[in-house]
Amino acid sequence: MLRYLLRRTLVLALSLVVAGLVLFVLLRLLPGDPAAALLSVGADEAQIAAAREQVGSDLPIGQQLLRFLGDLARFDLGKSFVSGSPVLPEIAKRLAVTVPLTLAAFLLALALAVPLGILAAVKANRWTGAALSGLSQLGLAVPVFWIGILLVWIVAVEWRLLPASGFPAKGWADPAAATRGLVLPVVTIALVMGASLLRYVRSATLDVLGADYLRNARAMGSSFSQALLRHGLRNGAAPVISILGIELASTLLGAVVVERVFALPGLGSMLLLGIQQRDYPSVQGVLLVSTLLVLLIGFLADILQRLIDPRLRGADEGEAA
Amino acid sequence: MSHETLAPPAMRTLFGIGLLALTLSVAPSALLAETDPAAVLRIGSLYEPQNLDNTAGAGQGINEAFNDNVYEALFRLTDAGTVEPVLAASHEVSEDGLTHTFTLKDGVTFHSGDPLTAADVKYSIERVVAEASKSSRKRSLANIAGIETPDDKTVVVTLTSKSISLPYNLSYVWVVNDAAGDITAKEDGTGPYRLEDWARGTALSLTTFDGYWGEKPANGGAVFSYFSEAAALNNALLTDAVDIITSVQSPDALSMFADTSAFTIAEGKSTTKQLLAWNDRVAPFDNVKVRKALARAVDDKKLLEAIWGDRGTLIGSFVPPTDPWYVDLTGVDPYDPESAKALLAEAGLADGFTFTLDTPNYDPHPITAEFVKAELAKIGVTVNINIITPNEWYEKIYQKHDFQATLQEHVNHRDIVFYGNPDFYWGYNNPEVTKLIEEAEASDTEAQQTEKLTEANRIIAEDAASNWFFLYPQIVVSTVKVTGYPVNGLNAQFFLRGIQKAS
Amino acid sequence: MRRLTFRLGLVLLGLAFAVALTTLVWTPWPVEDMSGGRLAGPSWAHWAGTDRLGRDSLSQVMIGARIALMVGLGATLVGGLIGTVAGVLAGFAQRGLDDALAAALDILIAFPTLLLAMLVVAASETASLGTAILAIGLAMSAIIARLVRVVSKRVLAQDYVTAARCCGAGWLRIVLTHVLPNIAPTLLVALALQFGLAVIAEASLSYLGLGAPPPNASWGQLLQQAQATVYTAPLGVLVPGGALVLLVLAINFVADGLRDLLDDSAEVRE
Repeated sequence: MLRYLLRRTLVLALSLVVAGLVLFVLLRLLPGDPAAALLSVGADEAQIAAAREQVGSDLPIGQQLLRFLGDLARFDLGKSFVSGSPVLPEIAKRLAVTVPLTLAAFLLALALAVPLGILAAVKANRWTGAALSGLSQLGLAVPVFWIGILLVWIVAVEWRLLPASGFPAKGWADPAAATRGLVLPVVTIALVMGASLLRYVRSATLDVLGADYLRNARAMGSSFSQALLRHGLRNGAAPVISILGIELASTLLGAVVVERVFALPGLGSMLLLGIQQRDYPSVQGVLLVSTLLVLLIGFLADILQRLIDPRLRGADEGEAA
Repeated sequence: MSHETLAPPAMRTLFGIGLLALTLSVAPSALLAETDPAAVLRIGSLYEPQNLDNTAGAGQGINEAFNDNVYEALFRLTDAGTVEPVLAASHEVSEDGLTHTFTLKDGVTFHSGDPLTAADVKYSIERVVAEASKSSRKRSLANIAGIETPDDKTVVVTLTSKSISLPYNLSYVWVVNDAAGDITAKEDGTGPYRLEDWARGTALSLTTFDGYWGEKPANGGAVFSYFSEAAALNNALLTDAVDIITSVQSPDALSMFADTSAFTIAEGKSTTKQLLAWNDRVAPFDNVKVRKALARAVDDKKLLEAIWGDRGTLIGSFVPPTDPWYVDLTGVDPYDPESAKALLAEAGLADGFTFTLDTPNYDPHPITAEFVKAELAKIGVTVNINIITPNEWYEKIYQKHDFQATLQEHVNHRDIVFYGNPDFYWGYNNPEVTKLIEEAEASDTEAQQTEKLTEANRIIAEDAASNWFFLYPQIVVSTVKVTGYPVNGLNAQFFLRGIQKAS
Repeated sequence: MRRLTFRLGLVLLGLAFAVALTTLVWTPWPVEDMSGGRLAGPSWAHWAGTDRLGRDSLSQVMIGARIALMVGLGATLVGGLIGTVAGVLAGFAQRGLDDALAAALDILIAFPTLLLAMLVVAASETASLGTAILAIGLAMSAIIARLVRVVSKRVLAQDYVTAARCCGAGWLRIVLTHVLPNIAPTLLVALALQFGLAVIAEASLSYLGLGAPPPNASWGQLLQQAQATVYTAPLGVLVPGGALVLLVLAINFVADGLRDLLDDSAEVRE
């Protein structure tokens, strides 16, 4: 296990470097000189040169790369072209919205999907199972922003139960308002994510239900629910966890649309704004940080999966030996 | 939008007589419970400043939040459209009209604690006219030959030509502490409020400044919350997340605030004009006949109805009814597709032509572009719609003049002067108009100024220099708890000091 | 049950194509006709009401179907082509290169299609239907490439393929005679699922204002415009959204049905 951990950590570190390099190349491929964002009406040659120097686009590409890596090593993501303020603190501030939003939505989706998914599998041949499958089919076909708009219209505007959008200016210093602001976005994401998780849970449970060990356990006298809990959950959890990792990562990044619907100042809206304003340091910063998060989630999911499922552990050691 | 003159959707207003406005804005309702002098006002806005410096392309949002609240000027443009002294205790003009002497008020300090001196005023004016400044007022102040500070309380401005609107133009010049340095992310002004916090993308909070020289504000501060969507802004007021919204973008939204026991809808006088600007330098838009034909082909009335329902006003030129040089010119090129076709044929374009319309990506421009496309198709002209971001607009159109036609709204009042500048983005170049506008500025009396500008106004309308669609309505909606806010919001200003909130 | 949904999916999808093709020659109202009055409710003349300019909403939603199908199919084609080529090549790659490719694909897949598409749109000067197709297709290609790589690896490891290689068969021939026919069913099902996702991605892009410019009445764009008037004209939100859900549902039904038909491609989902 330790060996696996070491190897996996190495892979994580390497992936990070590769992702950084890819990002560096991609952003240099974008059209236009990034210095243009700094210039004003009728800028002369001297001003253009100064702007280039500030952005670093006057240097040869190799030197730019070194500078980029050097900055990264010092956790310096540069300054926004538009506001002139450093990117990293801005990202940190926005993570305080996006991370709670994602995690809460994820937990809610799990809380919905796990029991309903198991139910759908156990009652696969009854109408409940069919209805649940149908619901999850529907959930997969609905764009997340449409659910958001409908929820705003019904819950916030017609019923006036919750704020339709926005986040308190003071952020989490006003916990009640911050929480209220996140309720609808969380529900919106959770509904869509829950629908897709439900399918995975259902099929994992179906696999488990058909498995030999469960039949054995029942033959040895455990009740059905005991057997399902003791053996089924553990065995079914492993494949679901890697899916969960991917889902969590994609929710984190996919929050951009939901943040737009609810006007939340999160990472996604920073990216959208950065793209619209061609503010490359912001775009680059958001992408780097989100890549890091995505890779970390994948890392944790892999480790967790190994911990839960002894078969994978064995397989891995065998392979490594 | 990165330009104070050309910022996104509506909200400014009236010059002259805002009677309705005045009554609404001044009188606090007698029905209200005790007002709370420490209450913090929650204001919802669509105009987040890009930065905190009005000479660095911060957009109209910074005027809304900072003008007269955080920074004061020598003069103030009131909500009613008059110009009154603020930091200037006196203003004297020499016989030849070229030397203006200002004496500063005593006892004024900046938020940093430094006292206000003449050097600060000199520094502040120079900031606006500096090479790197992106201020839209740069050109209006270009005739300043020199600024002297004989002592700490006296500023002497010498001009190269007479300027009747100098006090008016100075109302745009924030007085900034000359030791403040870069103010794109901080401030040092003399206003009744100081910046407490700026959470980029979300909100900007102001709190009262204890060392303020004048009367204490009627409230304890304000938080401007910024929204990227009009719908989100309206919802915020509906769900009590804000007390006031500084603009309403669609008439549909107003139906939500119909309950008069909960909300107040104030309609002030606007100066925001939506227009279709041709690049008058390039063919075929350099031909008056073509411009007149295109103006006649678009049914402005129907467009206004589509966007604003029964609100808003039609205009026949760039001048709103609240400017003294207004005349009704809607009859110059009325909607008439038949004569439009005839004019096109006269211009040798009987078979029509194709052009690209650069359209800012926010409401109401995209839908306006679609309307124009459908209307012009009827006279054989094909429009390709090109959606661009505000930044692209600023770079491509405002700076490089690289366009055929574009949609934009212009928020300032008294901005007919733009047509006297051949280098402006739309490139209208009529020496007669340029001369009239220059002479108007050198007038000795307001009557003379008005006469000249009225003449210029008529000429640009006859020339169909641009296609002016309509004037936005200016709508501020609040909960009934708050009163005393400005309803006209001239030049995007939003004076906070008089606003009261019931406890 | 499955067969029922498959048939329902086919019927709905066929209907969507029929509507999309019809709009090429006929819509209830010409799109540029603005005579319907501002935000009118449903009536005999305008079944789904009108928009702010007085244009017929139903006609716009019908044209939206054309755009959704065009971008969805186009993107699936682009993604399928690039993904298959890349996946087969990676399938042939040897250990070191293969590991690197696999890792790179894994990282790319961790990013949602929408985010990658946003970046491609950002990199292009102006938005158009073409950019949307390219952006979504490119973003999708990583997912297809990974799938194809795994399947083609398995095919290449089969004894008869090894035998063929030993006998001197060129790689192109192996790809054409052994790999492609073997991955075809899996690929078909995967592409069908991606088609549904591409339709959602297109709507999301245009909702964010990064899609094709007007007057291409994409459903995402219609929804974005209708969001502002949802209080007085909720139909503007319900109709395009409902059409979008129906189309994606139909595509997913067809994809599920296809998988059942070609059932050896069970690993595609779940």
